[in-house]
Amino acid sequence: MFPYDEASWSVVDGAMFMGWGTALPGITTFLAMVACVLVLVIGQRSESAKAKKFDK
Amino acid sequence: MEQQILDLTAQLEELKAGATVTNTMFAETFYYLTIPLMLIIHAGFLAYEMGASRLKNVLSSGVKNILAFAFMIPTFYFFGWWIYFGFPTGIPGEPGPAGISGIEYANSIAWAWGDSAQYMGPNIADQISGVFFGAFAMFAATTASIMSGAVIERIQTVGFIILAVVLGSFAWVVAAAWGWHADGWLVTQWGVHDFGAAGLVHAVAGFFALGVLINLGPRIGKFNADGTANHIPGHNLPLTVVGLMLIIVGFFGFLMACVVPPGEAWSWFADKPATIYGTPITLSALAFNILMAIAGGIIGAWLFTRDPFWMMSGALAGIISTASGLDIYYPALAFLIAMSAGLILKPCADWLENRGIDDAVGAVTVHGTIGLYGVVMLGIWGAGFPALQGAVGDVPTISLIGQIVGAVVFFLLGFVPGYVVSFILNMFGMLRVREGAELAGMDLVKVPAAGYPEWGGDAPVTPAHPAE
Repeated sequence: MFPYDEASWSVVDGAMFMGWGTALPGITTFLAMVACVLVLVIGQRSESAKAKKFDK
Repeated sequence: MEQQILDLTAQLEELKAGATVTNTMFAETFYYLTIPLMLIIHAGFLAYEMGASRLKNVLSSGVKNILAFAFMIPTFYFFGWWIYFGFPTGIPGEPGPAGISGIEYANSIAWAWGDSAQYMGPNIADQISGVFFGAFAMFAATTASIMSGAVIERIQTVGFIILAVVLGSFAWVVAAAWGWHADGWLVTQWGVHDFGAAGLVHAVAGFFALGVLINLGPRIGKFNADGTANHIPGHNLPLTVVGLMLIIVGFFGFLMACVVPPGEAWSWFADKPATIYGTPITLSALAFNILMAIAGGIIGAWLFTRDPFWMMSGALAGIISTASGLDIYYPALAFLIAMSAGLILKPCADWLENRGIDDAVGAVTVHGTIGLYGVVMLGIWGAGFPALQGAVGDVPTISLIGQIVGAVVFFLLGFVPGYVVSFILNMFGMLRVREGAELAGMDLVKVPAAGYPEWGGDAPVTPAHPAE
């Protein structure tokens, strides 16, 4: 996952994170966004269901 | 004309000297500021475990934590600092390739008597040793605080302090020498990378606590006869949650102290900051990844628990699960790894509890299990990164096998000393308080003060008016 052809820090002159130059940053960003939305959806559903139990 | 050149040359020298002083002051101040920031971790642990204690034990939990901190500093001064420099290459302490390790080197800079004492006190020619020492001593104190929360409400004070010293001034220091030093054999032979000390601080302390908990046993009333567990709520959950938040604030100092500023004689680079391994890092990387990890951990824990205690523990787990690679993770990847740590946190803690381990604050899981999870995760995602400076082929690279080897070593360096020393203390009756004292409350036994003197039916009533 080292983003340079040569596995040496001496050649690094810019971005130095895992997957730089590949699709990984975009994919992980997309997955992180989806995860945030999913958590909110699940959270809303379960909280609503629980709140309904207190209806008179 | 000649005079003008001479004047300009003199001015240039003055400017260069000024720039050097500025850089030196910045580099020293950078480390110096990590010390109070890391002290906030201890304020957090103090609030955290006092809040997690029942009313009858609140002050004794605080005394234990404060005293551990106080013993950690001098013992780390006496021998912890020396161990760090003495044994990176293993036993018997041969010098390593970077030339900053081995018994002889440690004797020359980290021993508080003889010639080396000059580096262990005020010295106008050495303005950095004490600042480095202070930052490392705070790491040591953090390990003791991690163990401290797990064992609340039934441990003897002196027995606990002995355990804290073994952990903070010996066990984690050996782990740091081996896996957090450019000459460390885990680094040079296996390419182990643990930038933010997920394994060598958190996992070592977490599994040290597990070894102690096995010999210490659960609090009275924690488990029923059929083995099922009861929840023992602390007296003040809001205090615990705020304590956890303070720990997270302090972590910015903790991770800042893992960065070596540029431009000094002891720096790795003239123009950019480095990790302790001498590989490049930026503070920007830390800001991106720490914040994303905190967020991911909280969100993951919220999904399963909805409990503020576990959410803030999830924030810690988020940082710890990504700490090994905060220098090289992509922020969205850090977020996803942290979120997964938040998700597995509570099930892991439940698994441990179902096996009869009474970890009062979940320290074994948050620091131990998640610490090792973080070390191994970096092996999966960071494989191929050079673990040290140097050209390809000359230096080891990060690998899954190397990270697993590191994780096993960190586990053993925590668990074995914790289990053995607590076993010996138990043999001598120095580990657990007597049953009567535990039932009465440890504050009554250990502390000549009351945490909440006006609380309870038999509490003295504060006069509403001055006595006539």
